Amino acid sequence: MIALYGFLFAPLVVVAGASLAGGERPYVSFPPDRLSFEWYGRIPARYVESIGLSVLLAGATAVCALALAVPAALGLVRGRFAGREAVALFLRAPLQIPFIVVGIAFLQLYYALGAAVGINPRGRFVGLLLGHVFLTTPYALGTVTAVLQRFNRRLEEAARTLGATPWRTFRRVTLPVIMPGIYAGALYAFIVSFGEVPVALFLANPRVATFPVELFGALQFDFNPSLLAVSTLILCLSLAIIVVFQRIIGIDALLRATAGRDP
Amino acid sequence: MKARWGWLVVPCLVATGTLLFASQAVFLRISFYRDRGFGRVEPDVTLANYLRVLQDPFYLQSLALTFEVAIAVLVCSLVCGCPAAYILARMRSRWTPLLLGAVIASALVAEIIKVLGLVVIFSADGVLNRSLLAIGLIDAPLRLLGTVPGVVIGLLHFTLGFVILLMFGVFQTIPRSLEEAARVHGASRLRVLWRIVLPLSLPGMVAGGLVVFNLSMGSFTAAALLGGGRILTMPVLIERTMVLETRYAIAACMAAVLMSSVLLVNVAASVVLTRRRAGAVA
Repeated sequence: MIALYGFLFAPLVVVAGASLAGGERPYVSFPPDRLSFEWYGRIPARYVESIGLSVLLAGATAVCALALAVPAALGLVRGRFAGREAVALFLRAPLQIPFIVVGIAFLQLYYALGAAVGINPRGRFVGLLLGHVFLTTPYALGTVTAVLQRFNRRLEEAARTLGATPWRTFRRVTLPVIMPGIYAGALYAFIVSFGEVPVALFLANPRVATFPVELFGALQFDFNPSLLAVSTLILCLSLAIIVVFQRIIGIDALLRATAGRDP
Repeated sequence: MKARWGWLVVPCLVATGTLLFASQAVFLRISFYRDRGFGRVEPDVTLANYLRVLQDPFYLQSLALTFEVAIAVLVCSLVCGCPAAYILARMRSRWTPLLLGAVIASALVAEIIKVLGLVVIFSADGVLNRSLLAIGLIDAPLRLLGTVPGVVIGLLHFTLGFVILLMFGVFQTIPRSLEEAARVHGASRLRVLWRIVLPLSLPGMVAGGLVVFNLSMGSFTAAALLGGGRILTMPVLIERTMVLETRYAIAACMAAVLMSSVLLVNVAASVVLTRRRAGAVA
């Protein structure tokens, strides 16, 4: 078990440790001979910009994915219509397509759009957003559906009997109960959008690139220890977000959401 | 009232459906076009790309390598992940939430940052090689960057957390009392694992295995960076064909082949599982 946790956390520790290495040498040393934050002062502006873009994109993706997924989950769990199983299966289809294939398919779609109507969303925020919403909606759908399936409808009946309007019932009874699923869905959509390379790589361009795409390019072509510093900042930020979410929705809900994130 | 809930599915269905059909239709159509190189395709429908990708040893080797890597990752992550998940599910300790939280946190950190760490660890004068040399376990630095084992370890890092979490959920649903009953009746610990825990968790393992397989077949980031341009799995090759060689039709065709192989394996697995379940009931 110790070896396993060592394996899971070693890369993270190494990134954080090596980012603190001082000295002029532009290469990585771990364990660092002397501690300093100097690489943190030399983070190029383009990385900071790409992080801003990534955060904005991931936030917008989470909002859009939930706006689609919450009603859809309600419809799937509560609706009684023919072909419900098939619809549920269909809405999970994006999970079955390898990310790289999604990337290439969307790029071709954007080229085709550009040729047909003169609007090519490649290298634009909306282009990245469409791709990421497509990728992450099934995750959000999964987490919200999981919570809704265990929802006790009697609670709503009680609220209605006591004179609440349908909307008030939804807002005051249903929504609070399914909130953990919504939070978990938002977290997953955000995390997938924020960390994903193969789709953004195709849909970004040098001016509009997400942080993982910048980091990927830098790792292939021009490595620089300031990358370790940025990555460490992102790492700390992600860990903080995850810890906060675990506090808010409880570890059990997060666990169910993780386990239920795939069909 | 009940009939109205169903309509709520419509926006999501329209959005996903439009994006799915539009993107798939465009890219699948291009995969049948004649490739002229330099980003040009000629819109006459031909099977030439598919014949080429499915006959040329270069592409076939890449497909075989992708399967090999995915299967290796699948086996390793189940072998490492299941015991860990079982221990976590059965231990009664106040540390369990913390240990689980740590797995969740490590699973959710962006893959590229983990890969960056692995690159630093694996490099010839990196931590791993220096410590192994220091304790005399190896004589020459291990080469992991740009090798298949390196890529497998990188993918394993990506999938292991998910396997542990998935299998934790599976083991939790197996009542402890079943195992205790078997123990009371004289079964050894090993026998309990073999006759009770394994059969009951097998469907979960298959499901978890499929998730790992799908993730590994499509994994790009780890394979591209840890493979260092030498380990050409399908996703890496697709990206190269698309970006470096700008042969769009060939790249689309390879993507279609990759996607179909993944779908085929998933369909086959679900058919076998349904048959099995039907057989068990009958």
